[in-house]
Order: sequence, then C-alpha cells, then structure tokens
Amino acid sequence: MEGAGFRKELVGKLLRLHFQDSGTRVSGDALQLMAELLKIFVTEAAVRGARQAQAEDVALVGVDQLEKVLPQLLLDF
Amino acid sequence: MEEEEEAEEQQRFSYQQRLKAAVHYTVGCLCEEVASDKEIQFSKQTIAAISEMTFRQCENFAKDLEMFARHAKRSTVNTEDVKLLARRSNSLLKYITEKNEEIAQLNLERKAKKKKKSEDRNKNSRESAEDGEVDNEN
Repeated sequence: MEGAGFRKELVGKLLRLHFQDSGTRVSGDALQLMAELLKIFVTEAAVRGARQAQAEDVALVGVDQLEKVLPQLLLDF
Repeated sequence: MEEEEEAEEQQRFSYQQRLKAAVHYTVGCLCEEVASDKEIQFSKQTIAAISEMTFRQCENFAKDLEMFARHAKRSTVNTEDVKLLARRSNSLLKYITEKNEEIAQLNLERKAKKKKKSEDRNKNSRESAEDGEVDNEN
C-alpha cells in the first residue's frame, strides 16, 4: 500500500461522526478496507476527470470536466 | 437549555471542519499522484469539489454500514459489511475482495511473527529455568 492514503484513525472518526447508535463500532480490518475504498473513490474521481479533460483536449481538470464524470461515479459507488 | 444546544452545535461544526480539512489534505495528495501520472493539472476548485464529495459520501457509507451490521444482529461493523458497500460495480467489488484478502493475509503474518517472538522468549526463559533446576538436583 504505497503512496498517499486515508489513515485508519481519520476513517474511524469520519464513520463514527454519522453513526446513529453510539454503540456501533468498526473492526480494525473493516477500517483498513474502508480506507482502501475511500482511496479508490478519490482516485477514480481524479482519473475519470483527467480522462475527460484529455478527451476535451484541455490541460486542466476543472469543475466542468468533473461535473461530467460525477453521475457515473456516484452510480458506481 | 438553548445555550447548551448552541454550544454543542458549535463544537460539532468545528469538529466537522477539522475532519473536512484532514480529508482535503489526503484528497490533495491523491490528486497530485494522478496529476503526475497523467501529466495533467487539477484546479483548486476540482480538488475542493472531490474533497467535499468524499466527505458527504462518508455519511452515506457510515449509515449503510451501520444498517448492514445491525441487520446481521451485530454492533461491530466488519469487512463483510464493507464488501456489501462495494456491490454496485463488479470491478470495484472484485478489487475490494482482493484487498480484503491481502489485509487478512498481512495481519495473519504479523500475528505469526508476534507469536514466534513470544514463543522464543518463553523458550529462552524456560531453558534458563531448567538449567537452574538441574543445578539444584545436584
């Protein structure tokens, strides 16, 4: 697992922020897996945005490009 | 009473802001990796938008995970719940399942190393105790 990524501690805090029941906990393995899932989510958004920009022949991935890839991204997750 | 609620609201809000900032930092790092890989640039607004999206998506993930665990009559979310989250795309599910096995394997190896270390320690202390006993018998 090289490169940047989400720390387990941060992932835990993010999830617990939205749990309805204060007794709900998350296993360590699940936290690690969630960190991977979040990493893919971000990477997919970035890569799809980049591909869109390349298809439009622009050098910068702006929100216009991001907007176009958003619907499919959210459907895939 | 109202003042207390307001103070709580304020605390929750600033806690959320700190978490958002942490997410933003990680998103920035990940986008930088993609940027250098694809030789393209991301606008600041794009990074902020992805970061906002990720933060909001966590709310959906958290609520789903909690419901999955509760459905299975558990109070602790485990990896099965996370795999369910990834069900919408086949390639995503495949990737997550593989990652899960990687993680499980790594943890097994780490546990085996720890166990061996403590076994070696016990063996050493047992051997020195036995030496002591032999001396006593003599």
